[in-house]
Amino acid sequence: MIENLTKIVFTGPVGAGKTAAISAISDVPPVSTDVACSGDEKKIKKTTTVAMDYSYIKLDDGRVVHLYGTPGQERFNFMWEMLTRNGIGLVLLVNNDNPDPVGQMEFYLDAFDSFIKETGVVIGITRMGISDQAGIMDYQLKLMERDQVVPVFEIDGRSSDDVRILIQALIAMLSV
Amino acid sequence: MDVIKEKIDKQTEGENIDLEKYSKVLKRKLERILEQLIDECDEITAALVSGIDGMAWAEQAKGNLDENRFAAMSSALLALGDNLIKEIHKGKVKKVLIESDGGNVFVVHAGSSLLLTIITHEDANIGMPLAHANRVSEEISVLVQQCVS
Repeated sequence: MIENLTKIVFTGPVGAGKTAAISAISDVPPVSTDVACSGDEKKIKKTTTVAMDYSYIKLDDGRVVHLYGTPGQERFNFMWEMLTRNGIGLVLLVNNDNPDPVGQMEFYLDAFDSFIKETGVVIGITRMGISDQAGIMDYQLKLMERDQVVPVFEIDGRSSDDVRILIQALIAMLSV
Repeated sequence: MDVIKEKIDKQTEGENIDLEKYSKVLKRKLERILEQLIDECDEITAALVSGIDGMAWAEQAKGNLDENRFAAMSSALLALGDNLIKEIHKGKVKKVLIESDGGNVFVVHAGSSLLLTIITHEDANIGMPLAHANRVSEEISVLVQQCVS
């Protein structure tokens, strides 16, 4: 598995911090396709990704990992499929400061179900400190209910170290 | 109209025009523009105006078109085109053109917040629909400017 290591995909709902996470760890300025939001989405944030984010990182052993971020909105689900092709794993980011973060986690786990089954997934919960409506345990309980074993981390999406931990966890999972 | 203008003046400080505020009026006008476009140019089978964030605004089509899906795809295409050009520092994107066996698709900017997608039938040439696309995108851009100034 690890020999073919090329591409990791970041996904999750609008405002989870996918673009920020990719930009936090990348070695080069990321390619992003952010545009101004309109309507209800504008209340959450100013800009949104409409095609993809792309960047890459070099691991300590010199290997290059390509990072792709998907748009969050369901209307862009055609990009989800395109971007996961030949991917080796998924990083799912969930914004805890949302009305139903556990439900959102489930939605993306279902949407990326076949990709996850072929590869693997790790979950990063962002904005945990801002909202305490769900704890790590709530996510884990839901995952147990779904019969899925997935590492869940509380992270700051803007922190390079935090995002790196997610990627290391994902690669460790895939190497087993 | 004056009342709307006043409201819009208050709400549109800064670069990103908040189209949502007068969406109904604008939607109706856009639909009329597209209807006229399809009437005038036989080669065009469908036309769609969407926000740069992939939300559908107005659509006219001979036949079925999933406007929401098409709007999202159009914005993704144009955003990728914009970024590709930015990457090589060669100015601004005028249009994204896709030629296929079954017809062509043009995506052009229509002002800073909207974009226009035009679909032609398989025998259509490129010139005429493209000329219409350029004219109508300019028209839409002016319409939006008028609404907010």
